[in-house]
Amino acid sequence: MKEILKDILGYLDTKVNYADLRFVQTEEECIQAENGILSSYNISTNRGVGIRVLANGAWGFASSNNLDKTSLFETANKALDIAQASALTKKEEIKLASEDKYIANFVTPIAKDPFQISPLEKIELLAKATKVMLKDKVKKSEGSLNFYKTHKIFLSNEGSEIEQTIFESGGGITAYAIGEGDFQKRSYPSSFGGDYSTSGYEFIEEMKLLENAERVAEEANHLLVAPSSPAGIMDIVLGGSQLALQVHESCGHPVELDRVLGKEISYAGGSFLSLDKLNNFTYGSPEVTIMADATVSGGLGTFGYDDEGVPATKTYLVNKGKFVGYLMSREDAFKLGLKSNGTARAENWNRIPLVRMTNINLLPGNLELDELIGDIMEGLYLDYNKSWSIDDKRLNFQFGTEVAREINNGKLGRFYKNAIYQGITPDFWYSCDGITQKKYWKVWGVPNCGKGQPSQVMRVGHGTSPARFRKVKVGASK
Amino acid sequence: MRDINSGKELVGEISSFLKNYDFEIIATENKSELTRFAKSYIHQNVAETNFDLIVKVINEDRISVVEMNSIDNLTVLKNIEKAIEIAKISPKLDYHYRLVPPQTYKLKCKFSQKTAQFTPLGRAQLISQLIKEINQSKYDAAGAFTTEVNTLLVANSKGVFAFDRGTKVDFNCVVAKDNSTAYASFIDSDINNFNINKITDELLETALKNVGQIEIDPGVYTVILSPEAVANILDCTGYTAFNGKLIVEGKSFISANRRKKIFPEIITILDNPLDEFTMPMPFDFVGYPRKKIYLIKDGVIVDGVYDHLTALKYNLKCTANTLPPESASMGALPFNLVMKEGDNSFEEMISRTKKGIYISRLHYVNVLNPMSVQLTGMTRDGTFLIEDGKMIRAIKNMRFNTSVIDMLKAVDMISKERQTKSGLVGPTVAPYLRTNNFTFSSKTNF
Repeated sequence: MKEILKDILGYLDTKVNYADLRFVQTEEECIQAENGILSSYNISTNRGVGIRVLANGAWGFASSNNLDKTSLFETANKALDIAQASALTKKEEIKLASEDKYIANFVTPIAKDPFQISPLEKIELLAKATKVMLKDKVKKSEGSLNFYKTHKIFLSNEGSEIEQTIFESGGGITAYAIGEGDFQKRSYPSSFGGDYSTSGYEFIEEMKLLENAERVAEEANHLLVAPSSPAGIMDIVLGGSQLALQVHESCGHPVELDRVLGKEISYAGGSFLSLDKLNNFTYGSPEVTIMADATVSGGLGTFGYDDEGVPATKTYLVNKGKFVGYLMSREDAFKLGLKSNGTARAENWNRIPLVRMTNINLLPGNLELDELIGDIMEGLYLDYNKSWSIDDKRLNFQFGTEVAREINNGKLGRFYKNAIYQGITPDFWYSCDGITQKKYWKVWGVPNCGKGQPSQVMRVGHGTSPARFRKVKVGASK
Repeated sequence: MRDINSGKELVGEISSFLKNYDFEIIATENKSELTRFAKSYIHQNVAETNFDLIVKVINEDRISVVEMNSIDNLTVLKNIEKAIEIAKISPKLDYHYRLVPPQTYKLKCKFSQKTAQFTPLGRAQLISQLIKEINQSKYDAAGAFTTEVNTLLVANSKGVFAFDRGTKVDFNCVVAKDNSTAYASFIDSDINNFNINKITDELLETALKNVGQIEIDPGVYTVILSPEAVANILDCTGYTAFNGKLIVEGKSFISANRRKKIFPEIITILDNPLDEFTMPMPFDFVGYPRKKIYLIKDGVIVDGVYDHLTALKYNLKCTANTLPPESASMGALPFNLVMKEGDNSFEEMISRTKKGIYISRLHYVNVLNPMSVQLTGMTRDGTFLIEDGKMIRAIKNMRFNTSVIDMLKAVDMISKERQTKSGLVGPTVAPYLRTNNFTFSSKTNF
């Protein structure tokens, strides 16, 4: 394959300002069980080539699953035609921030290849875990395991030749307690499909799904008969799983430079973090430091090189409350006179790289969890996302959580159901006055970040440990 | 799949690999091109050719699914062998899996040769025309313009063979100058129906009104929702309430409310592939022919939609709403949501509103409480205060937390005009709608 791609690159070289070719081959397994019974076992393979050209100062991209040489040359010509059409509205030449060339190979370090684990072992794990959860009012239980192996070849006419093999594993379980015209759900280890990592099957074993199934079902039963969350202004502690989504929506998306430059405005929206705010805006309290880190071990946004051939980096976005950095592609970084920080990612061969999150991590603080909760007289502990929404500038957000626990005189108390909390992004992060220490910190995998037209789903990570926020508006869904 | 014959050849090949097993096949071929523009220039311009083959292998109620995007003999054979291996060791389902018997299909996808042959240059020229007009008013334009051809084949080892090909044009655009914005969208099968001048006029008309926004307090308001906003709400209601799997599991408000008259008689909501404004799929993903299904009729809750698996498991009737295997665990979705038109003109709805709010577009709508279908989301790109029958001022964006049930109970006017908007499976057809119960929970400063 690589030789054909090199031939095409040679053909394009004299016709373009820049060209890159990506061959991507994926292998996937998705296993689902309901109520102790396997409901589906899906396997899939997928491969193709995407050809991106910058010609006459404008972009063209064409992609095909047809890998014979003649077809791929046709695809290359299609990309050139498209670039010519793009130039019709050109205002200025598109230019890319400079980048070194790399000849490299990256493979996710794993202990156990998930595709070598017997299907029966995976089926039995889910069947048992979903059966154990069927207690009392839990009439419905679900479990899933997902595995991905992605092999990529990236070639550019700047001389880069990068091969990567990325392994991703994940899964989770959910219990639904149903009755009295209501239902409540509890998920483990996280909601909406569980937790994910660039790891092998060892990640699934470490989750201990079976060992947690009964507890999760009990909590669903507690929630079904729990009172609704109180409403008002109070102090809250966000658990790590919910905090991951808080970071995702209110920091990860607004720091995407393409959003700031208006490229997503018609669909997902823009960002309040306009260019004048870079290095000149208080995003949160001094407790708040957020980094993009595509190098952290096991993060779902961890890789060797992004899909423009830029090495994975670790970079500050918010440093002690000050807004200091964007996520940037080569094109967008050039506009700011900066270099890319390796965050242009494509869902597959048939999509172009867009500015995407890698692992967007809220760095840990120095508090024990007891200290964090102990300093609240009246408040709520909230965790495991149930609902999310944020405006098109990423300011006015509202989240619902599966679990709310009363905090009374510094102690955790009873369960509440249907809790929601609401805020304005910088005010909320400015109200953060405590983050728990490193031993509570973990990188959560979010496998379903959507962006772009045509739509691209990206798998990203968020390192968090529970944190405290003062005077937050809380309430209950009705 | 060049044509129906190559589809038949493909089924024959799969059949030769799976002599001892029942099977279902879904094959899709997609040629999609999209031009995206922002700040009044084309910044993304892409084309994709892809093929996808899904084979479900059935071994006495043991099932596995394999999906691939290349169909050389070696790839197909290797993948099918894997699927057979899993179908042999999998535990049995807790219900008997029956294949759909052969069906006949009366409906056809809408297909336009001109759309199928539309070029990147054609899209760029129309976008360029729009940008020039918009720039003259000192606004910037951003959006996406898609043209595509989709071929779908559904077959099984009992003789189901369904094949069709359709085209789609999908356009959306936001124009912006500071906080003044407007949005317009268009979806159809035929590029001949796409009128860039009409869209440009619509965008500028709204944008020029959407200036000097004032803040209003959260609370319960009378609102008039645009077809865009109604379609968004219907889509969320479709997967939250009308999903038959959730209904039988007791996780939908419909579970306990079938045959009850809860809403005003003017409320009728259907899944209707026969509606003149929709773009129908003639069959679902197991080959049942699509048909008109009432969800709410004259204010009475009828039922939801059911997929093949849920219908088999609970001994119900499938309504031809089966999704592909990768989405099967979700249950069923309406494919062509349609809200029946009313008697009022939009102008009449505004002029007969003493005090209210007009909402052009919603953003990031999500479910807060599935049992009450309480949704949350934001307004954007044009929200206006109505007083004494006139849209008098633009207002700043608001967050809403509102129950669709409460909202529909309080509907008193629906427009004659309906528009086709993007939906979750096929498009959604929606009118303007006035309700006297819509709850805003917080505001923004923009």
